[in-house]
Amino acid sequence: MTDQDDAGRLTEISRELPALDLDATTAEQIARRARDQVGRGPSPLRFIEPAIAVLLVTGYLIWSVLKAVEALGG
Amino acid sequence: MRCAGVAEDERAWIDGLRRGEPAAFDAVFAAYRRRLYGYLVRMTRRRDVAEDLLQDSFLRLAQHARRLAPDTRLGAWLFTVAHRRVISWSRAQAVRSQLAGDFPARDAQADDRSPLSALVDSQAQLALERAFAELAPPYREVALLVGVEGLQPAEVAEILGLKPDAIRQRLARARAQLAAALGEHAPAAWRTA
Repeated sequence: MTDQDDAGRLTEISRELPALDLDATTAEQIARRARDQVGRGPSPLRFIEPAIAVLLVTGYLIWSVLKAVEALGG
Repeated sequence: MRCAGVAEDERAWIDGLRRGEPAAFDAVFAAYRRRLYGYLVRMTRRRDVAEDLLQDSFLRLAQHARRLAPDTRLGAWLFTVAHRRVISWSRAQAVRSQLAGDFPARDAQADDRSPLSALVDSQAQLALERAFAELAPPYREVALLVGVEGLQPAEVAEILGLKPDAIRQRLARARAQLAAALGEHAPAAWRTA
């Protein structure tokens, strides 16, 4: 049996599956939220978390180097 | 997800999306919301999760609208996003259940029997819905995308990031497992194949 046969048989039986849908209110809420974002691109807020992490790690590294220099020099 | 043979409607919608027109988004939402929602409900077996993932998928489309290629195939594009959302959700679920002390996962099928049962109006439909629910997720996904959504196996391979051979194998197993699960409800041709 080829994949086209399998696909055909799956399509045939899947016609019996009931259609699923959202209720109208939920669908409208989802559409409204997404519609407001059309063409805006992702929110710049998504950069905040990685930026904080980078600052913390960089700060910690600088502090570690300074401490190491201090210990070796002192 | 690009192709030369994009339908005219889709081309107009994509042009509209690229110009940031909300009306184009509404048309795409109307055309694809049921298909994506059906796929998400049957993959997650939870309506609340399916609603969240549907919203994420359409938000992604809205945010990506201006960067769509003119020859984007919207169906394949949206199902790719939805598939990735399902994968992320499944991984998070697996971590959650491990953190919960490796208790057996809740019987998701039983959880969702009521909402799905409420939609079916015959024993055969219920048997079919359950047979799909019992398929392992990789087989269920291929069966849904090919059988319900009518996508070509090559297109499904692209959406799932798999080789065509893997799709072929999953299709055959999905069909065999469905036939076994359906038993007397399976079409006659399936039982003889």
